[in-house]
Amino acid sequence: MRKRVYALAAALIAALAVLVGMSAGAGGTPGVTSNLISIGGTFPLSGPASSYGTIPQAEAAYFSWFNAQRVGGKRGAFGRQIAFQYLDDGYNPAQTVQLTRQLVESAHVFAIFNSLGTEPNQAVRAYLNQAKVPQALVATGASEWGVLAKQYPWTIGYQPTYVSEANAYGQFIAKKVPQAKIGVLYQNDSYGKDYIAGLKLGLGAKQSQIVDMEGYEVTAADVGSQIAKLKASGANTLCIFATPKFSIQSFAIAAKLGWNPIIFNNSVSATTTLMTIATKSSSAQTTNGTITATYLKDPTDPKWDNDPGMKLYKKIMAAYYPKGNPNDQFNVYGMSAAWTMIKALQGAGPNPTRASLMKALRSLNYRDNPFLLPGIKVQTGARDAFPVQQQQLTRWTDGKFVNFGPLITG
Amino acid sequence: MRGTAIRAVAIAGAVALVVVLGFTMTDYHQYQFGIVAYYAVAILGLNILTGYTGQISLGNGAFMAIGGYTTAILCGHHHIGALWTIPVAGLVAGFFGLLFGIPALRLTGPYLALATFAIAVAVPSLAKRFDHFTGGSSGIILPIKTGHYLYWVSWICVAIGYVVAWLVLRGRTGRAFRAVRDSEVAAVSSGVNLASYKTIAFGISAAYAGVAGALLAIGAGYTNPDTFPVTLSLYLLIGAVVAGLGSLWGVIFGALFIEYLPIYAQKTYFGFAFSKQAPSVVYGVVLILIMLLIPSGVAGLARRLYLKS
Repeated sequence: MRKRVYALAAALIAALAVLVGMSAGAGGTPGVTSNLISIGGTFPLSGPASSYGTIPQAEAAYFSWFNAQRVGGKRGAFGRQIAFQYLDDGYNPAQTVQLTRQLVESAHVFAIFNSLGTEPNQAVRAYLNQAKVPQALVATGASEWGVLAKQYPWTIGYQPTYVSEANAYGQFIAKKVPQAKIGVLYQNDSYGKDYIAGLKLGLGAKQSQIVDMEGYEVTAADVGSQIAKLKASGANTLCIFATPKFSIQSFAIAAKLGWNPIIFNNSVSATTTLMTIATKSSSAQTTNGTITATYLKDPTDPKWDNDPGMKLYKKIMAAYYPKGNPNDQFNVYGMSAAWTMIKALQGAGPNPTRASLMKALRSLNYRDNPFLLPGIKVQTGARDAFPVQQQQLTRWTDGKFVNFGPLITG
Repeated sequence: MRGTAIRAVAIAGAVALVVVLGFTMTDYHQYQFGIVAYYAVAILGLNILTGYTGQISLGNGAFMAIGGYTTAILCGHHHIGALWTIPVAGLVAGFFGLLFGIPALRLTGPYLALATFAIAVAVPSLAKRFDHFTGGSSGIILPIKTGHYLYWVSWICVAIGYVVAWLVLRGRTGRAFRAVRDSEVAAVSSGVNLASYKTIAFGISAAYAGVAGALLAIGAGYTNPDTFPVTLSLYLLIGAVVAGLGSLWGVIFGALFIEYLPIYAQKTYFGFAFSKQAPSVVYGVVLILIMLLIPSGVAGLARRLYLKS
């Protein structure tokens, strides 16, 4: 009996000792040592959005490649290797909060880099700004990352926004399709509404050419009735602002109804893979001529076979991420973001602080990101909190995308 | 006598441990232990339903969502102090639990599991549908709290949860619950009103889940439908099984398990990073091993060791 009480007490004391050991502190600029800069991010490696899970792996591959290069006689950024930790939040914002706290308070990262998803990033934005930790180059197309730059000085986005993409469609329609009667299918949330705002912006005075807009809930089973209504409205131009499943349905239903409008499909649902599926479930006649926008080089396009950027991409994929699929454009995206992050880390100077990193991120000026289409700038400034804003329109032509026209700034 | 002494030492020790840690751990570890605490509250509730009354539930994550949204709406939209929303969240979720308990009366075993699973699937979608109240998929933002705050609030909720559970289970109600679990026919013939006890068990369990959901919302500072995925309900049941069904003190271990295993499953061991492939595989393998080695959970293992010594 005594023995048991003692054993129990001993166990409790042991547990206490272990747990108290967890309370170590840290000093200096967090995440920066003489030979290391550690950064981290959260991504959906599992769960419903896990197709994005390849992005951090391509980023890690690019950082590994970079760490092996000599810049000014030293490896890495000012002699510091970049250590990138990515954690799986399963697209659950509660997990994002916990893991981001882990990265900041336990792993002591210097900055959060490219964490993915609008809602997960919204969930940690206030926390990171309060802790003054850079929330750098977040992987989401919502416009608020740039719009709210004053309110959240430690947060910055990366890619062209949904607004700027739809703006490009609007501008194109206003100029090139004067007889357009526009029907819009949109997801009834902030993402869909961003697209509509951009379209109206681009159309300018020609907004009245929108004859009908049909929303759907993300929980809906299909968009059959919406497409039928849009056809009945007399529209001859269809803008699809929908995620892949609903986008593919739209093509299939339009084909069934014998409707052949000019189609603009948001880039979210317009990769080569998805358009091939859409063609199979509708017809070549329906999908041919579909217009979308892009800012990344397409690894499946033979046009880039001799392009140094694409060659580097393929080399890094083979050497550092052999399990990845080099045809997946998400990997190109990841490397383009990692490239930009390295420029910012170098811009933060030989003795980087979190503030100097933010300063560098807010004064980017590069035209040579090797993974973006030629001529696309990565640029920010005092009044410009949107790093990548240019895109080029591209047309689905006989089973592949053909870029056309000038770069459009959103 | 000796049992009482050991129990007293254990309880005093556990309380002392929680208090000491509340002053010594880093803020981040307090945050994590705060999460352990609210999982413990949810598992405690589930254990009353599943462990003591024998009613399986794969839907307690949905009651957490109801509690979480109650807190988020009151605290995020109407700026009511976070603490005050916790009991309200428990009551609201408990009310829905009672309501659900009524149709659930007709179901047993796998049928009940499926019905409860259905609410786990449905509630997040409902939150998207009524976006006027819930903010839709963009969710609701709440004020940020420190790890220290979450730690104390959550562990005080655990303490209250234990006292309530003990009070409920020690007397007439607890005996009725166990009678229902062991044999419904025998329970009815001894005068136990099946319908009311089952409904009450659902209500109590949902109220616990509601409190846990409120704490989750406060801790995360954010709620949206993805914050309460279907897997949350499954993890709670896993936690209850690891703890040992029908044991109150084992619950803490179940909570530690569901909080820490996913984190450790993502780490690199012997140069091999499991997470790049599938953290859930690690999770699954560990779970299978536990079920094979200690089918009655941590509580069962401890009981075995105790009887041996």
